[in-house]
Order: sequence, then structure tokens, then C-alpha cells
Amino acid sequence: MNHDSWSLWRAQVAAILRLEIKKNFLAKRGLWIYLLAAAPVVLMWVHAALNLRDHRVCDLGHDSLIFAAMFQFFYLRLAIFFGCVGVFLRLFRGEMMEKSLHYYLLAPVRREVLLVGKYLAGVITTSIIFCTGTALALIALLVHVPRTAAEQYLFAGGGLGHVLAYIGTAALACIGYGGVFLLMGFLFRNPVVPVVLVFLWEGANPFLPALLKRLSVIFYLHSLIPISVPAQGDFAFLAILSTPTPAYLAVAGLLLIALAGLWLAARQVRKLEINYGVE
Amino acid sequence: MAVYKRSYHGYSGALTPEWSRFAIIPRYAYRRLFQSKIMTAFFVLCFVSPLVFLSLIYVANSFGSIAGLFGAKGARSPITIDGEFFLIYLGVQSPLAFILASFVGPGLVSTDLSNRALTLYLARPFSRVEYVIGKMSVLLVLLSTITWIPGLILFGVQSALAGGGWLIHNLWVAWAIFAGFWIWILVIALTALALSAWVKWKIAAGALLLGVFFVGAGLGQAINAVLDVRWGRLINLSDVFAAVWSNLFRMPNGRDISPTSAWIMLALVCASCIWLLYRKLRAVEVVR
Repeated sequence: MNHDSWSLWRAQVAAILRLEIKKNFLAKRGLWIYLLAAAPVVLMWVHAALNLRDHRVCDLGHDSLIFAAMFQFFYLRLAIFFGCVGVFLRLFRGEMMEKSLHYYLLAPVRREVLLVGKYLAGVITTSIIFCTGTALALIALLVHVPRTAAEQYLFAGGGLGHVLAYIGTAALACIGYGGVFLLMGFLFRNPVVPVVLVFLWEGANPFLPALLKRLSVIFYLHSLIPISVPAQGDFAFLAILSTPTPAYLAVAGLLLIALAGLWLAARQVRKLEINYGVE
Repeated sequence: MAVYKRSYHGYSGALTPEWSRFAIIPRYAYRRLFQSKIMTAFFVLCFVSPLVFLSLIYVANSFGSIAGLFGAKGARSPITIDGEFFLIYLGVQSPLAFILASFVGPGLVSTDLSNRALTLYLARPFSRVEYVIGKMSVLLVLLSTITWIPGLILFGVQSALAGGGWLIHNLWVAWAIFAGFWIWILVIALTALALSAWVKWKIAAGALLLGVFFVGAGLGQAINAVLDVRWGRLINLSDVFAAVWSNLFRMPNGRDISPTSAWIMLALVCASCIWLLYRKLRAVEVVR
């Protein structure tokens, strides 16, 4: 592998990125992902607008707890999860269904380069959408409390770190789930059943023994959330408490899951043959 | 016969009666569905819980005799067969019906639309309504066989074992089983068809059907928490169904949803699905 190969692959990845990002961002069928990302933003802004209209002063501590619960139970577990299902399953399986993947496979580009280009495009798309959603919701959280309270929270109370942690967690969730669903797109012709199984596995994470907890994306994401909300519901008492992983290990764990997904997907893409008649 | 001698002549065979033309669709659909081994296995698996409930009914009614075999006299069954028992049955079978619908439903209309085959149906003496009824009956019949039909059989068995007095006293339970399952089947069948019509990729339609339930539940909770309201629960279809079922089974409703608002919400969901189907299922389509 010389320098020329690397520069060629970089140029090819950049070309694939351009194509895919345009496809991902401007597709009408991807509108529901924007809606998923915008739902908490709309809610937080409506809450802010109602309080500003009625001249009510909100308790920032209470509101940040509500945001933490919403981020943990809605954004990470549902919005980003299903958003990544939509984006990453479509990268290869969707193109097979639309009978358009052969255009890529006929181009003089290594399969692995194609895989990396598509994966990066998916990560960039979902990260931009969901990180923007997180940031906008956090702005709504801070905009309707007195300015001094917001400044104190941000600069004296470690709030700025919380903001960065939330946005970073959203991006890492896209990277982790992206790796998982990219692989699923290769392994299953109809990935709905495995997606349901992953959803149940991720949902059951609080109730799993400590060792099994580590085999999920949500475990590492929980370790990165600044304010962790305990499991709720009728079966909350069954939750098994475990010490959160240090941030550097959680990030490494998530990147490992994504890399494992990419590596296994690369093995699949090398022997990929398309038979549109079967799809 | 020489090719040049072949010319168009009208179909002279027997015509299917107009009222039963919709049944042609499920006939072919079932043949295709049961070719899948996973689908067949799951369908068979759906009958396990009715068998378990049947054995529970038997044990509950013969508890004295069974206990007598072990020398215990005057023992009473810890299992009571009443509305709550059948509500639990409904709670067990309805998720299975939902999984079955998410297997079968997404491919029903999307394949016709993505292959531009709808015109082939509608070019024949076959209306849009018949098409929708035909496609829906695939789900309605399939889901009925694993839900209310075994439910009513269980009810019948219990009536036979417990006697006429129990039957007269609990006749409303039979109605609750029938209505409770039917409203569930109707809503998920319509939602599956509407999503299948709008999302041409059947995998995405399947995922979206799951999303409607799970994301709706999460969003409802978020609305309640952020806006400090209670109506967010109306977006959670599981809670809405729970309110309706509690009402039908005369059980206390632990949720903040009144039965009336739950029924209105379900009617709204059905109406919007019908509207979505009406908008999408047309004999002509403008392709841009």
C-alpha cells in the first residue's frame, strides 16, 4: 500500500461521500428522520414559548432532569435508533431493493472503500441531524430561564460540559448503531426481525447481568450521559445496577462495536453478489 | 392454429360473483405466505398460548378432582376464570398478532405499487374498495385465527365446564373478547396497509409499523413530561388500547385516558389510515 493508493482511496471516499450525503439529506423519503429529530426540539421550544408568554420562571434543575430523561429514553433509545435503522439499512440493502447498487459495483473502486464511504456518509448525515436536534433542544432549555441562571449553569455549574457531552453522545450513538445496522443490512434480506431483537436487547439492558450489558450500544451511551435517569416502569425494581464505565472506555467500547460492525461488513461486501431477481 | 388467425375475443368463462371478488387476493396471498417456513413456524407458535390457557381452564375446573388424586380434599382452584383471565389472554395474543401483522402487512400493497401493478388490478372489474378489502382480509382472517376465534373457543370450553350459570353471568366477556380483538386487528391492519402503500420499501414499512407503536409511546411520555399535560398518553397506542380493553372487560383503568377519548383516538387513527390509502391507491400515478 503506497501513498498513491491512499490518496486514490481518499478521493474515492470523498466522491462517494458527496453522492451519498446529497442522497441522504435531500431524499423526500427521509423526511421522517427529520421529524424524529425535531420532535424533542419542538416540545422544548413550545415549553419555552409557553413559559415566556406566561412570564413563568422555570427551575433549570427540574427542566434539565426532564431533558435528561427525554434524551435517554426517547432520543437515544427511539429517535436515533430508528433513524439509524432507516439510514444505515438503506445504504446497501435499500440500494439492492431499488436495483441501483450495481452502478457502484461496476465502478473501479474497491468494495471496502465503497463501504467506508457509505458508512461515513451515513454517520455524517445522522450525526448532523441528531446533534443539531440535541443542540436546538438544549438552546430551548436555556433560553427561557433568567440569563444569570443560564450563565451560572453553563460556566460555573459545568453545564457547558453537559451540553458537549449530550451532543457527543448523540454523535457516538450514530457511530455505534450505524456499525450494527450496516452489518445487518448485509446479513439479513429482511432485517426487520433482527432490528426488533436488537431493540429488545437494548431495551432490556438495565435488567441484564453486568457482563451482558457490555454487549450493547446503549450501555456505553449511558456511561457518557451527564445525568443518568434510572429505569422506570412496573419492572424497574428488576434493574441491575452497575458502575458506569469511565468515559474513555465507553468511547473506546462504542468505537470498537462500530469497527467490529465495519470489519464484518467488509468481509460480507467482498463476496457480495447481486441477484436482483431474488431481492 | 396459425398465429395470424388468433384475434381478440372476449372472455367467455364463468365470472366470479361480484361480492366475492375480493376473496381472490387472500387466496393467492396465503399460498405465497405459507411458503415461508419462518412465517409458518411463527403462525403455529401463536397457538401455544391458547393451548396453555385451555389447560389452565381445565385445571381450574377440575382442581378438586386433581387435588383428590393427591389426597387433598375440599381444595379450591387458585385460578379464577373471569374477565381478568381473558384480559390476560388478550394481552398475550395481541403482541403476537402485531408481530404477525408486521411480517405480513408491509408487503401487501408495497409490492404492487413498487412494481406498478395496481393498474393491472384496477383495469379489471375490480374497485379500489374491493382491492383494499381484499388486501385487508389477508390480515383480518390470519389474525382472527390466532386471536378471537381461539378466545371464543376458550370461552366456550369454560362455559361447557362451568355450566349454564357461568355462561349467563359472563356472556359479556364473550363480547369483550370479540370486540377487544377486532378493534386491535382493525387498527393494526389499517396501519400496516397505509404504511405499506406510502412506504414502497417493505422493510422500511415494517420498521415504521414498529416505530408507530414504540416512538409514539416515547413521544407521548415526553409530551407529558415537558409540557406538564396528560393528553400525551393519547399518542401512545398501547395505552389507548389498554384503556379500551379495560373498559370492555369492566376492569379499573389505571391510565389517565378516559374510554371515550381512547375510542375517539382509535377512530381517528382508522380514519387517517383510510384517507392515506384513498390518497395513494389510484389507477394512475404521476412519476416525476
